[in-house]
Amino acid sequence: MNCYLCGNKMASDPSWRDLFFLDKPETICRLCRDSFEQAPAGCRICGASGLELCGECSHWETTEFAAVLDSGKCLYSYNPAMKEFFHQYKFLQDAVLAEVFAEELAKSIKKTRAVAVPIPMNHLKLKRRTFAQVDRMLEFGGVDYLHLLIKNEEIQGEKTREERRETRGLFALNGHPLPKKIVLVDDMYTTGTTLRLAAKLLKDAGAEEITFVALIRA
Amino acid sequence: MKELQDFLLGRIWLREFTPFPKEMIEQAVREGFVAVHKGITDGLQCARCLENGPEKIVAFRCARCAGQCHYCRHCIRMGRVSSCTDLISWKEPHVIAPYSHSFKWNGELTNLQQQASDELGESLRQNRSHLVYAVCGAGKTELLFPPLHQALSQGKRICIAAPRTDVVLELSPRLKAVFPDIIIHTLYGGSTFEKGFAQLVMATTHQLYRFQKAFDLVIVDEADAFPYSYDPALERAVSKSLKPGAPVFYVSATPSQKLLESVPNQSKIFRRFHGHPLPVPIYQPLWNYKRAFRSNRIPAKLVEWIKQKLEQQEPFMLFFPTIEMIRQAEPLFKEMDSRIEAVHSQDADRKEKVMKLRRGEIPGILTSTILERGVTIDNVQVGVVGADEEVFGASALIQMAGRAGRSSIFPDGQVIFFHNGVSWQMDNARKLIKSYNKAGCR
Ligand SMILES: [Zn+2]
Ligand SMILES: [Zn+2]
Ligand SMILES: [Zn+2]
Repeated sequence: MNCYLCGNKMASDPSWRDLFFLDKPETICRLCRDSFEQAPAGCRICGASGLELCGECSHWETTEFAAVLDSGKCLYSYNPAMKEFFHQYKFLQDAVLAEVFAEELAKSIKKTRAVAVPIPMNHLKLKRRTFAQVDRMLEFGGVDYLHLLIKNEEIQGEKTREERRETRGLFALNGHPLPKKIVLVDDMYTTGTTLRLAAKLLKDAGAEEITFVALIRA
Repeated sequence: MKELQDFLLGRIWLREFTPFPKEMIEQAVREGFVAVHKGITDGLQCARCLENGPEKIVAFRCARCAGQCHYCRHCIRMGRVSSCTDLISWKEPHVIAPYSHSFKWNGELTNLQQQASDELGESLRQNRSHLVYAVCGAGKTELLFPPLHQALSQGKRICIAAPRTDVVLELSPRLKAVFPDIIIHTLYGGSTFEKGFAQLVMATTHQLYRFQKAFDLVIVDEADAFPYSYDPALERAVSKSLKPGAPVFYVSATPSQKLLESVPNQSKIFRRFHGHPLPVPIYQPLWNYKRAFRSNRIPAKLVEWIKQKLEQQEPFMLFFPTIEMIRQAEPLFKEMDSRIEAVHSQDADRKEKVMKLRRGEIPGILTSTILERGVTIDNVQVGVVGADEEVFGASALIQMAGRAGRSSIFPDGQVIFFHNGVSWQMDNARKLIKSYNKAGCR
């Protein structure tokens, strides 16, 4: 098989895969795998490197969004290799790339023992993008997930952080009964606004514990 | 509509991503001017790049067509082609009226260049393919100008395809200066939309995926790896872009055996335009250089060579087999002289660093094979670290050696192969260079 990213032929090297008890065949080569950078441990909520509670999250905790997110984990830093990967997956719509981090994402989600709830896409955008990148990773990782949210409209994008915090009504509940423990799943944690809007809605509706897992910490 | 026609003639393009309004395209389809093709054919082939390998044409569940859909991974960087995307093309072929275009060129060709140029002209008249086998520094671009002028004046549409963007960007302004009244488009990954119907297209080979039955002549520059063994799709791209029966001119310093055998009409120039022979590589053992770099040490023989170049103030290019080794080596060389720069294919400042070397602002450059061709620096000295490594085939070695001695003022630069045991490819490269010199002296 050839590496999904660099296209080079991959030496079948079962030894190290066995070592990590990974059972799916590898999709990218060692060199490409090594070009990604695990996000360092840090803030207990968003995982930003450094303080135990980062500046941004401290600020969030003084707002009405205090304690909507109990904790969270971001798997990778947004380094040049990850930027390239994300671009190819999300914007060039290279759907098979869902396989690349699916297993790792699944492992982190399973550790939380909560019900996985993907951050959804607006249905018009989904049609344009042709697949939901978060859902597809969960499927490849063998994670059962539940959609609880509906995304109302396209609001993110060119806004400033302040404007984003003001954004209301980005999500609505789809009416499905809520589980007590929820792990929200998104591809990228940037300002944390999206996740907090979703989490607040769910907590206000009765969810008890909400954590999140994001593939990338931007 | 005329603008749409100018744009689409000879092209096959993603319907969603044209520079024209949707309505204009709908109208053109309705009125029968524009044909619509399914992006991935029923036989699971990409209609744009003609890829059909199962690793490249992959299935996925698609939200747009609500079912199983296929897309092409091969040409995905040009905008994804899937079963539910449409490609469009202009139906009617286009005829360009013959017209004697102005030709602003008064350069002189050497006898060998002139002969090759005349032979190309003859092949053009006979509509047959031709190979120009010319050593690095023979002046192959200039000899193309007269036959190009001949073909353009006959109303032929022509594409010059080169493997790399750098080469395309270098060549395009020269062509525009020589053929000032011809619309010339320059196409590469990330190039911007240009208006009008281009009779002459200068493009990276990949861009040919976006053409079909477009050209009366395609010139494949630097056709060294042609037919592209590592990417057969590029070869298909060339033939797809040609009108039926149209010829291809190949230009190469190191043609493959297959190309030499498959194109019977050939012109050979084994002599540089300035008449001096090609520098012959010297072998220098550099035992265990990999281990040396890993333990943060430059092997002694290499230190000696660099010191000498620094002292004599001769610019140098030092080629490395892997990016990894460049990364290990860069800080070590910077300790010798902090102005030494390193470049590789993912380096955005590559051009700037090469310019600095050319202007004498930095003493030397560490590089991957990315600079093996297209770069001309006066009096440059060439070193190849790990010349015995598998990545350096004979043609790559000849190209790297061909960086030296290009100018008539400094016709004999040094070329040195640092190795851990002489490889067959090294010997082959040296033998070929010697044979060119011998043949060129006749
Ligand atoms: Zn790879
Ligand atoms: Zn394709
Ligand atoms: Zn589809």
